[in-house]
Amino acid sequence: MIEGNIELQTVLAKLELNRQKIAATQKKGYLFIALGIAVVIAGFVMGLPVPAAVAGLASLIYGGVVLYKISDELKAYKEAFKIEVIGAALRSLDKSLTIEPYKGILEYEFENTQLFNQTADRYNTEDLVSGTAGATGFYFAEIHAEYKTEVQTKNGTNTEWHDIFKGIMFAADFNKNFKGVTILQPKDLFSTMGAWFSKNLFSFSNKDVISLENTAFSKTFITHSTNQVEARYILTPAMMERILNLNHYTKSTISLSFINSKIYIAFPLSRNYFEAPVFKTLSNPDLLNDDVAVIKFMYEIIRELDLNTRIWGKT
Amino acid sequence: MFALIIIGVLLVIAIFFYNSLVGKKNQVTNAFSAIDVMLKKRFDLIPNLVEVVKQYTNYEQATLSKIVELRSKAVSGNISDSEKASIDAQLSGSIKGLMVNVENYPDLKANTNFINLQSTWTESEEQIAAARRTYNSAVTDYNNAIMMFPGNMFAGILNFQPMVVLTTAEEERKNVSAKDLFNS
Repeated sequence: MIEGNIELQTVLAKLELNRQKIAATQKKGYLFIALGIAVVIAGFVMGLPVPAAVAGLASLIYGGVVLYKISDELKAYKEAFKIEVIGAALRSLDKSLTIEPYKGILEYEFENTQLFNQTADRYNTEDLVSGTAGATGFYFAEIHAEYKTEVQTKNGTNTEWHDIFKGIMFAADFNKNFKGVTILQPKDLFSTMGAWFSKNLFSFSNKDVISLENTAFSKTFITHSTNQVEARYILTPAMMERILNLNHYTKSTISLSFINSKIYIAFPLSRNYFEAPVFKTLSNPDLLNDDVAVIKFMYEIIRELDLNTRIWGKT
Repeated sequence: MFALIIIGVLLVIAIFFYNSLVGKKNQVTNAFSAIDVMLKKRFDLIPNLVEVVKQYTNYEQATLSKIVELRSKAVSGNISDSEKASIDAQLSGSIKGLMVNVENYPDLKANTNFINLQSTWTESEEQIAAARRTYNSAVTDYNNAIMMFPGNMFAGILNFQPMVVLTTAEEERKNVSAKDLFNS
């Protein structure tokens, strides 16, 4: 990706200078903070607490000021990396692709996919990439949604945060018309029991469990839908195979939702993508490999799921 | 007291199983009517399709009139479900052949009306396929329920019989050859 791309090389060379400056300043800041702590500890050990505390505190404050002063520049550097470097990488793949670092998929839309049962107490989203592949518009963004639990202990309330979803959410215009909601979730013991219960005894939900003919598919996903026929209209035998193929690329099982004439796919990923390195050089030729791989993967979904075939009365 | 509770629990379970069995049977009927609805939708496309094709082509009149004839037979109402299915299979074959033959008529191929009809036809084809799969899945669910314990006890009492799943008609499995269709 970097090799042979003059635009990218120029931008990287320019940003590398910024990075070196930021890295040096940050090192200096951390050094003074470490020094301050060391002086305080040494002072206490040697029986000179007051002068050591004064000297240590001065060093700590200086270190903090140094870090604070560079923080704006760091932010600008990270933003420039996303817009200029990732932006150039996106353009070289397809002219229509753009990245907006401070935008994402809104919490409202995230909850609307109905993929996750819990409501988020803390929700972060960034790095919205959008564009078109052939006839199909799509976008994806990083999302981290968490819920909290509070436990009363002797020392007061203990708050713990748990992930609802961390990874990339992908959305694209679907190539068939549909009105209802169809949800595919990873199959686990809990969801299997729930599905058996609602199918054989009683269901509280407005969605039915859909039994599909593809056994590999039914082993991987539990499918719920508001409309049995529509779910099968979306999940044709070919589509089920394509979704299984897509799922092979990721470690954890993906979730899919078909709603509002869109397809949403949630990829659980632990890495934070499109972040500029501070203490590693930008001149590494493998620098963008992971980021480019994820972009290409998302771009290829359209082809993989055959969303550009528009022969079903939807343009 | 203990015995009463056990009887109560058993009764509740029995009610649930009975209801779920009846529910499954109704689901089969429901799924079948979904196929019917989709078929009707498809049959309704035929007059328009034939009209548009007539405007641009002057032969295959025989095929076109055969299609119209089949269609009117299908919507006449006094035919059995299996007859309807067989008419649909024949119609599908004829229309598929027609679509292949359209390649020879660039004007027709470029007609917006025809393009719309063509995509609606493809749409309806997949919708019918989906409805048939839904029906088969409902039948499988129902058959499983009446053959497995404890459903088989109720099925025996209520005289619920296993049902047959739909299989693809022989004509649909074959690749349609336009030549065969129009030369017949």
